[in-house]
Amino acid sequence: MIASQAIGGSSILPDRMVKFLTGQGLRHEFDSRIPHMLIIKEQKIDEFLEKLKEKFEVFDVREDKLLFKQYFFPAEERIFPVSKPPKKFVVFGLDPLDLEALTQLDEIMSKPKEDFYYWQRRKQALVIGIEKDMKKLAKDYGEFLEEGNLTETKVSDWTNSMRQLLLDSELLANAVEWSREHKIWEELAEKCLGCGICTYVCPLCYCFSTEDSVGLDNKCARCRKWDACTLPGFAKIAGGHDFRPTLKERYYNWFYHKFVRAYKEYGKSQCVGCERCRNQCPAKIDILEVLKIVLDDYGKYLSSQKS
Amino acid sequence: MENIYLAKKVKIIKIEEQSPTVKLFRLARPPAGGFSFNPGQFFLLGKVGYGEAPFGALSSPYEKDFIEFAVRATGTVTNFLHTLKEGDEVEIRGPFGNGFPLDFIENKDIVMVSGGSGIPPIAALTEYIVKNREKFKNVYLLYGAKTEEEILFKDRFEKWKKGGIKVMTTAGFVTDLIKDIDVDEQNAVCLMCGPGPMIDAIEKVIRPLGISDRRIFVSLERRMQCGVGKCQHCTTGNKYVCLDGPVFYYDQIDKNYD
Repeated sequence: MIASQAIGGSSILPDRMVKFLTGQGLRHEFDSRIPHMLIIKEQKIDEFLEKLKEKFEVFDVREDKLLFKQYFFPAEERIFPVSKPPKKFVVFGLDPLDLEALTQLDEIMSKPKEDFYYWQRRKQALVIGIEKDMKKLAKDYGEFLEEGNLTETKVSDWTNSMRQLLLDSELLANAVEWSREHKIWEELAEKCLGCGICTYVCPLCYCFSTEDSVGLDNKCARCRKWDACTLPGFAKIAGGHDFRPTLKERYYNWFYHKFVRAYKEYGKSQCVGCERCRNQCPAKIDILEVLKIVLDDYGKYLSSQKS
Repeated sequence: MENIYLAKKVKIIKIEEQSPTVKLFRLARPPAGGFSFNPGQFFLLGKVGYGEAPFGALSSPYEKDFIEFAVRATGTVTNFLHTLKEGDEVEIRGPFGNGFPLDFIENKDIVMVSGGSGIPPIAALTEYIVKNREKFKNVYLLYGAKTEEEILFKDRFEKWKKGGIKVMTTAGFVTDLIKDIDVDEQNAVCLMCGPGPMIDAIEKVIRPLGISDRRIFVSLERRMQCGVGKCQHCTTGNKYVCLDGPVFYYDQIDKNYD
């Protein structure tokens, strides 16, 4: 019902799609859990997009490095005075990994209480994902994804290896927790520029800071902005004490949050293997390589404990 | 959908200078039990345009008409608060976090340890204990500040002493006060709030008393910015100080590097 509201009962959508959106006959693992999301085949996309654009503002994220999260959780957003929710809009072109990330982000922003500003935007959005390599191909966009699952999607070898590791998020959590004294964090702190780009491009990084300002007209405002736990002063308190003064501690904390704290909080790692952090890192840090080393040495540690 | 970031406007009904850098703000409590809190819980206090910062409530939780906070001028928000006058409005949201385990500590010897501006939540707890004094055995309050003039709430010590609290203060380290404590270590609890080095007091004061880690409750200070477990600024290990704390069993946090 929510979904059909989001598309405003528009006639551009074939009956089957409306049926899909209203929750009948949905067998895809994402569908019932996610409001305002549908997945189409990569065919007749241009035609479909043109029709959508006649009715809605459409953000096409297929070539967008800053990815979909900015439409629900902008890099900078005024929160007071409270702004009105946006008009209904469409975020188009998420790939299956992004959809998975969005599912997680929705969960994060719902617990323990709904994040007002995230959901104010999220509830206005229809999210459209694209499935590129389904075994069962559809004839046109009227045939929506009702069969198959994401594991059939072709992904890069890197993503594939990363997702293999992510299958055992408990092992990842234990290994990363164990690794705090590992020399790798020292080495990475030498390499890492501390720029925070990995967190900005991550679909599952969501830390923020609030910043207040008073304008020349004496009008006050409060904004919230993306923050990055790798940046200096992230854990600083009044009086100046910093709980993570070194880059080594902050970089470790980034991993710790994704693989340990997230696992304890949500039962899964906050990573989907999208490869953005690796591709954008100016120091060419590869989280997969880091995790492999950590897992390897953790394995050795465990077997040394047994003997 | 409720806006969890929306603060309530309340009027300042009294401002008191507690030390050269600390002012006490008494805020009007809205009728019908607004801002009911458990000693040890914190609120976010501030104003749009200047920011918000976390403060532990210090007044008695039984106080119907007002709620009090102590503000040390150290940053943007606190310096702004210091410019305000009686009758001005501030914005407040909360309470957040868990607070001290009031049921667990009943029928036990109580050692409260506090340092510097960590005294407010301990003050609220003291008020609670005074009101329910018969439910507790020996009650000590150890409180240290860098200098004599930085010891806050001196005007309340008499009332607390009359209420059966052994108040011991020092211009220096609380560790100096240990020799005068007499508790049954198998039936004693320790509740603390103070700056980082205060944790040393656990090793030097509480450990020698023989109180186990599960009976030591520490209120942690972090930069609680959102108050609702989202922004990540207040994390320590796998805990959120704003949600899981700020009061922790000592053994929940003593291994945390951050």
